[in-house]
Amino acid sequence: MIRVRDIRKSFGSIAAVDGVTFNVQHGEIFGLLGPNGAGKSTAIAMCTGQLAPDSGSIEIGEAGSPRAARARALIGLAPQQIALYEELTARENLVFLARVHGMPEPVRRADELLDMVGLLPRARDRVATFSGGMQRRLNLAAALVHNPTAIFLDEPTAGVDPQSRTAILDVVQRLATEGRAVIYTTHYMEEAQRICSRVAVMDRGRVLAIGTVAELIAEHGGESVVTVDSLAGEHRVRTREPLREIERALAEGGATAVRIEQPDLEMVFLALTGRRLRD
Amino acid sequence: MRAAVYLALKDLRLLLRDRAAAFFTFVFPLAIALFFGYVFSGTTSEPLRVAAFVEQSSPAATMLIKALDEDGGFKLTVTDARAAGEQLVRRGDAVALVIVPAAYAEGIDGVFSGGGAKLGLVVDPSRRAEGAMLVGKIHEVAFRTVFAAVGDPVQFARVLDRMEESLKASDFSFTDRLAIRTALSRARTMSAPAADGSAVKPTASLADWKPVSVEIAELSMRPGVPANSFAISFMQGIAWALFGAVLSFGSGIAEERQRGTLVRLLVSPMSPNQILFGKALACFVTCLATEWMLVFFGMFVFRVEVSHWPLMVVVTLVTAFGFSGIMMLLAAGFRTQGGAQGAGRAVLLVLAMIGGGTVPIVFMPPFLRVASNLSPFKWAVLAAEGATWRSWGMSEMLLPLAVLVAIGVFGLTVGTALVRRSI
Repeated sequence: MIRVRDIRKSFGSIAAVDGVTFNVQHGEIFGLLGPNGAGKSTAIAMCTGQLAPDSGSIEIGEAGSPRAARARALIGLAPQQIALYEELTARENLVFLARVHGMPEPVRRADELLDMVGLLPRARDRVATFSGGMQRRLNLAAALVHNPTAIFLDEPTAGVDPQSRTAILDVVQRLATEGRAVIYTTHYMEEAQRICSRVAVMDRGRVLAIGTVAELIAEHGGESVVTVDSLAGEHRVRTREPLREIERALAEGGATAVRIEQPDLEMVFLALTGRRLRD
Repeated sequence: MRAAVYLALKDLRLLLRDRAAAFFTFVFPLAIALFFGYVFSGTTSEPLRVAAFVEQSSPAATMLIKALDEDGGFKLTVTDARAAGEQLVRRGDAVALVIVPAAYAEGIDGVFSGGGAKLGLVVDPSRRAEGAMLVGKIHEVAFRTVFAAVGDPVQFARVLDRMEESLKASDFSFTDRLAIRTALSRARTMSAPAADGSAVKPTASLADWKPVSVEIAELSMRPGVPANSFAISFMQGIAWALFGAVLSFGSGIAEERQRGTLVRLLVSPMSPNQILFGKALACFVTCLATEWMLVFFGMFVFRVEVSHWPLMVVVTLVTAFGFSGIMMLLAAGFRTQGGAQGAGRAVLLVLAMIGGGTVPIVFMPPFLRVASNLSPFKWAVLAAEGATWRSWGMSEMLLPLAVLVAIGVFGLTVGTALVRRSI
């Protein structure tokens, strides 16, 4: 659905995106992970047609370049910044966007989406009166008014309460279930691990690694740490086969507690870049 | 196209939701129009610019014109035709037109015999204070000319002849007639030239005499002259309505950029040109709405008359077009809402003021009047006045309309190109 081939974009002497390639299939949630300045937002800007790449190509389905009008009709974008008209009500925001996209029955479509993100009871309230989490949910709904098949979500859960986070993640998973291709950027590793089918780790404009979460952890996450508590004290073992290590500890006897610390995407990032994601 | 209309409607809704912006766009111009309508004093330190038309040349008329011309309170322009003088008033180049009728000389001759001189005066009603002052000055100058006529033995002899003629036709008693004849005879003797040929010096009692028979025969509005000061101030209000609209929408692009919604619009099927068209359309509609609001309010509440409805429609359309162009230039110049509003306010305020938004152009000193040509507000106000109290025809409208169209074309072309580069 989304095919990105060796795209590059420089601002002056700074290479914001430096040869990024990936594909995203229908029904897939593709995570773009990286710290601020990694090039995620620039990559998304190019994928959504806001910026033209200096080189490389991007294709959205059969519509081709995202700068083509046909392709833009397929693209849904929830920018990192909440992009809504605060003086308008939730329904007015969505109805306006639905009309701009030429949707039939814009009011009905707006109400469907408000229901989906749990804001239908607040449909007539101005966005300015919404909490941050509610605005995030509406920001997501606004990206979906025209029923897009290629959806770009840039930090959609930044700064939201747990209730809204759960609601947003549920909606994103539902979108993938419906067969849409979703590109999802986030700082939250646990979110990426929870919902992303595949992940690309970006830093300094480049993709350092790409694959499923399990593949990345297996390849770059390092060993698990098994901690065995016994009367003799605490015993920590690094291993790629933690279950075997636990079996051995239990067979030896004397173990009072066993803990496993499995590598995660944070460790993948640390291994790939030498620093933590939120540094 | 439809998407652009929805964008414009959204912007209009946002404008109405923003109380401050709505106030400055709709209420403030009205307040300005009412304020200036009520307080127009029309006073100026400059001499009153007055036009004069003499229907038939005569020594008395010449004397009056000379007196008006030499009076420090007037700056007189004598026209060859009444229409030309009225045109000067209509254009604001003269406060009033003094019409010296053909019968003026005869009236002066008969000033003591039941006749009396009459003068016509076409005054600009929007400048009634000056008009009233002018009436007083006319009386004063007329008095001086009559007084001078009495001091001229030849003319005074004609006056006495005329009085004796009218005495014959009167039904006075013999005694009264005798008394009057005696008085006239004495007056003739007194006014006889001195041995050296000089005129008789006026006596104190004669100097106190008031030539009450000299009256202003016509002090009323004529077609093409504003009915009242509100006819002026409501057209001034249009300048402030345009000011508010341009300021509100000039920062629209920057506002969309800052709130992130510009990205949404750019990712939508709308092209950048459609987005900009939507913005310009919202400004255009607002300009039109506020212009007509002022016209209708002035019309129904203050009897402001539209002289030419089709032209008024053209004027409002062209003005809205021109100022949509200015809005686009403003939008192109600034990337932030604060920058667009701050700088826009400063620049537009100066242009509105020198364009007649506060002090009507006709009251401005000459250098400022020339400078006002640089202000698009001046052309908008002038065009609106042309379609209302100035009663201009198409030929007179051509210049302000052409200027406004040129501003619109330039602003929309250059502004759109610059905004497109920035987004």
